Amino acid sequence: MSVLFKQDAFLIVFKFKFVKIIISGGIIMSADVELQNISVTFGSFYAAKNVNVKIKQGEFFSFLGPSGCGKTTLLRAISGFLDPSEGKVLIGGEDMAGIGPNKRPTSLIFQNLALFPLMSVADNIAFSLEVRGKSKNERRKRADELLELIALSGQGDKKVHELSGGQRQRVAIARALAIEPEVLLLDEPLSALDLKLRQKMRTELRAIQKRVGITFIYITHDQGEALTMSDRVAVMNEGELEQVGLCDDVYDYPNTPFVATFVGENNPFYAKVVSVDNNEVKVESQGNTFLATAGKINENQNHSFSPGDEVIMFIRPESIFIKNDNNKLDNFFSAKVNTIEFEGNLKNIYVKINSNIDVRFSVPNAVDTSELSSNKDVELTFSSKKAVVLPKGQLAVD
Amino acid sequence: MNSFFKKNGPLISTYFIIAIVFWLIFLIIIPQLYMLDLSFRPNLPPLLRGGPDDVHTLVHYKHFIFGSETSNDPYNYVDIGVFLNTIFTAIMVTIINLCFCYPIAFYMAKVAKPNSARLLIVALIIPFWINELLRSFALRILFAGEGVINNILLATGLIDTGINFIALDIALYTGLTYAYILLMIFPLYNAIESLDTNQLEAAKDLGSSTFRTHWRIVIPHAKAGIASGCTMVFMLTAGALATPVVLSSPNTYWFTQLIYQWFNMNDNWSRGSAYSILLLSVSVVFVLLMMRIFKVKIGEIVR
Amino acid sequence: MKSQHFLNILLGIYIFIFLTYLFGPLLIMSVTAFNSAEFPSITPWECFSWRWFQEGKIAYDGQHLAGLSTDWRLHDGLIKSLIIGLGVVCLSVPIGMAASIVLTQVHSRLRTIFYSVSIMPVLFPGVIIGISTVVLWDRIATIGGEGFLSDIGRNGIFLTILGQTCFISTYCFLIFVARLQRFDQTQEEAALDLGASQTQVFFKILIPYLMPAIASAAVIAFLASFENYNTTVFSILSDQTLTTVIASKVRLGISPAISALALVIIALTLMAAIIYEILRRREDKKKKERQDQLIYEQTKDSRLKKEKTGSFKIPKFIFVIILLIIMGTFGFNQLIKNDLYGNKCVSAAESAKKSNFAEQLKLLQQNADTVDEKSLEGGNLGGNQDYGDIFGDENLFKDFGGFE
Repeated sequence: MSVLFKQDAFLIVFKFKFVKIIISGGIIMSADVELQNISVTFGSFYAAKNVNVKIKQGEFFSFLGPSGCGKTTLLRAISGFLDPSEGKVLIGGEDMAGIGPNKRPTSLIFQNLALFPLMSVADNIAFSLEVRGKSKNERRKRADELLELIALSGQGDKKVHELSGGQRQRVAIARALAIEPEVLLLDEPLSALDLKLRQKMRTELRAIQKRVGITFIYITHDQGEALTMSDRVAVMNEGELEQVGLCDDVYDYPNTPFVATFVGENNPFYAKVVSVDNNEVKVESQGNTFLATAGKINENQNHSFSPGDEVIMFIRPESIFIKNDNNKLDNFFSAKVNTIEFEGNLKNIYVKINSNIDVRFSVPNAVDTSELSSNKDVELTFSSKKAVVLPKGQLAVD
Repeated sequence: MNSFFKKNGPLISTYFIIAIVFWLIFLIIIPQLYMLDLSFRPNLPPLLRGGPDDVHTLVHYKHFIFGSETSNDPYNYVDIGVFLNTIFTAIMVTIINLCFCYPIAFYMAKVAKPNSARLLIVALIIPFWINELLRSFALRILFAGEGVINNILLATGLIDTGINFIALDIALYTGLTYAYILLMIFPLYNAIESLDTNQLEAAKDLGSSTFRTHWRIVIPHAKAGIASGCTMVFMLTAGALATPVVLSSPNTYWFTQLIYQWFNMNDNWSRGSAYSILLLSVSVVFVLLMMRIFKVKIGEIVR
Repeated sequence: MKSQHFLNILLGIYIFIFLTYLFGPLLIMSVTAFNSAEFPSITPWECFSWRWFQEGKIAYDGQHLAGLSTDWRLHDGLIKSLIIGLGVVCLSVPIGMAASIVLTQVHSRLRTIFYSVSIMPVLFPGVIIGISTVVLWDRIATIGGEGFLSDIGRNGIFLTILGQTCFISTYCFLIFVARLQRFDQTQEEAALDLGASQTQVFFKILIPYLMPAIASAAVIAFLASFENYNTTVFSILSDQTLTTVIASKVRLGISPAISALALVIIALTLMAAIIYEILRRREDKKKKERQDQLIYEQTKDSRLKKEKTGSFKIPKFIFVIILLIIMGTFGFNQLIKNDLYGNKCVSAAESAKKSNFAEQLKLLQQNADTVDEKSLEGGNLGGNQDYGDIFGDENLFKDFGGFE
């Protein structure tokens, strides 16, 4: 009930100067979302399994994972389109069981936006007010305010198909915001846009979230999107949460081999533990010995290994350097150059160790690579701080 | 069921359930089942129904095969003859329709420009908005003893005496072919239209002859449309009543006319039902046959 | 290349033949509506007249051949057809819509069964649907005894509505299914998410989306009901609809009044088709303009900028209409010149026929006198033979209400 009351109070204030309030970030109702032990099964298939996560209020939170990993299932469970087979969804501390999507303080932005093609832009935006029986004037006024917010003033009478892709995106956001949701759910809304527009919308979405201050839960398979916009991300695989944490933590300290390979690029070295000293692990891989750091189990704890353990050591392409007088780190290995790939700001260099392990590393475009040509031997180096050792497990397939 | 109510809300769910139960149960299933039951019962006056005489019997089906007890023939040659003739003619009409419509459908789908194809479609639909009876009537004017065709033939001296088209059943066959052309053209058109024109060009590019292109590419692609068109035309032709009423000669009967006679003239409803069941069985067998031959689902036949 | 050209010509000829086959009979029938002769024909052209649209005629032998405006049975049938058509629309459109929506919500086996049962009525011969409806309701009426059930169970209009609804609902169902296939179901979810109740989703999202389908289903349902014969002829019992009236007329004897009726229906159909086509083209044009405008706004490509042409273009069909009017006036003038129009012509033809008929009657009398009593009792009038000679077809003569 408190949710409803808060909304009503908000409505009264809103009537006067909606835009200003949104921009100033004044009285914003935002709720935290807690998933307690959520499982969703379709027959014998687990779409989500024992998911526990708490999303703080006002946070930009992303679920990141390959398609079919169950992230959309979770989103549907939060928005109420799907009842979890087990577990609870709490929004603002209230159990949402038995409450339909139309009664939850959430708004969902669909992958295809699901704008109503037969209605004008203004009618689309004011739809949530229409179904609540608000007067025509009120609806019109609110629509105009929101149109101003999304920089589409005066275009309210257009039909949806007369708008461009980016404009539609913004209308969808305005429509979702019109009911002042406490939580905004976004289901890969940028996937249909082209690259430039997608990058622009990332910044815009982040800015809107900062202005309105409500909780955003974002679903994506694109790690770039997740890392640039979110406060925290949850990486999912096969219905289970692999890791939840701050963006840089997830990138720098992956908890599992899957996260290590799914978020960003990584070079896996299958290896055997030789010796352990605190968190410093010495491993042996195909005749090379490396010093590396033990990976984390969670935010506070590291994996512990003992000699003889089968492990994988991960080292990111940007952490490998060509060995020269300026660059001498505590690990070395030699390899044979295979190919060099030009990617604009970077060059990707593919090398082979012992002619069977593929390793990729990248250097900024400014670095002179004219000496590297196919089949040439090269000495490489990397820091033991940047090499992460994790127990053997499933990698993300690309 | 619970999720059904949840998805649609109580009001709409109630509307859905009432509408569907009313239709499927009360309009489709129960009447057919009752008619099936009636066909196995003797023809009794209303007072005796439900009485001791109201037992299941095969008398009507026996009548269809062996004829009435007073007749001398071992089999009911008349009724069986009408039955077989109806089926045979319906099949012939279907085949003729298929051959007749294929070029037109192909033309509309692949040769004509979009605008003229549309115009052609509208032109095709117009005659079929006009009552089947009136269309048959138009043919009757043409084929009558002093009708337009006879007069033209006589005037040009091609024949000396008028041809009795109606007695020869030419009028009837023409009328039946005419009646359901649209139902052949549209499934064919839709099927051929969905064929990628590039395939035709590729075939041509590879040196395929026109005939071969049709035989190997267009027809296999359009098989669902062919099955659909053939089924609809056969069903409607075999079950036609209006056209035979107007165009059949006094000595030719269509099977539906037999049913009509038993039902309305002779007031023998249960025999009429039995004959209806026979017609229905033919329809069902034909649909199953088409599904088997063309390897299509029932949903592809009726669209 | 040459063979292709040849094929195209062949195809053109084929299409011409095809269209002739489709429209020829209708055209000839239409023309016969204006011939004053009792038998719908062209070649023994009597006079150009409107009589079959108006009062009809009293034939020379005393038979009354009603025209369109005076035939009360047609009017009665027409009214009943309209009532039935409306009833069928009111039932079958909601039924078809409900079934199609539910089809989108059921899955796998149940869906297959549901779909198969729903389309069954189209595969049933119409006569069977009519018969099954009648036998079932007769039984219900018998069991129900006196009163309401017995009244509606033996009411032809009620039964016809039910029988037609059985299969016309399938037509509507198929129309709705086709439209719903292109429906984006996330729209429903979006509306729900924005706070709409299920009922609101139905009325604010689904119904507006289905509106074109509802319109076309209503039109198709009405037309299918209006021209249905096979089911109606059984289920109508003692009543009459327009089609059963036409059927009994056609069976009893062919009169140009039916041609006149057909012409009216053809004219209405043509008009509807033309209006539909004009509206569609206008809509297409508007859509195209809007799209061009949108592309221009997005790209700001001056090549795409279209200047509105100010000049007024005369639509092509005006020429066709003018041509038709000129031809019509010319033809009509010719008719009047040759004394083929008007009362004078008609009465001349009448008197000619009457005298002819009187002569034949006299001949018949003479023949009858010569035939002895016995053969008269046998019913085989020698005179019949002569009538056969006179009117070509003895069946047709009977059809005109000749000797029976």
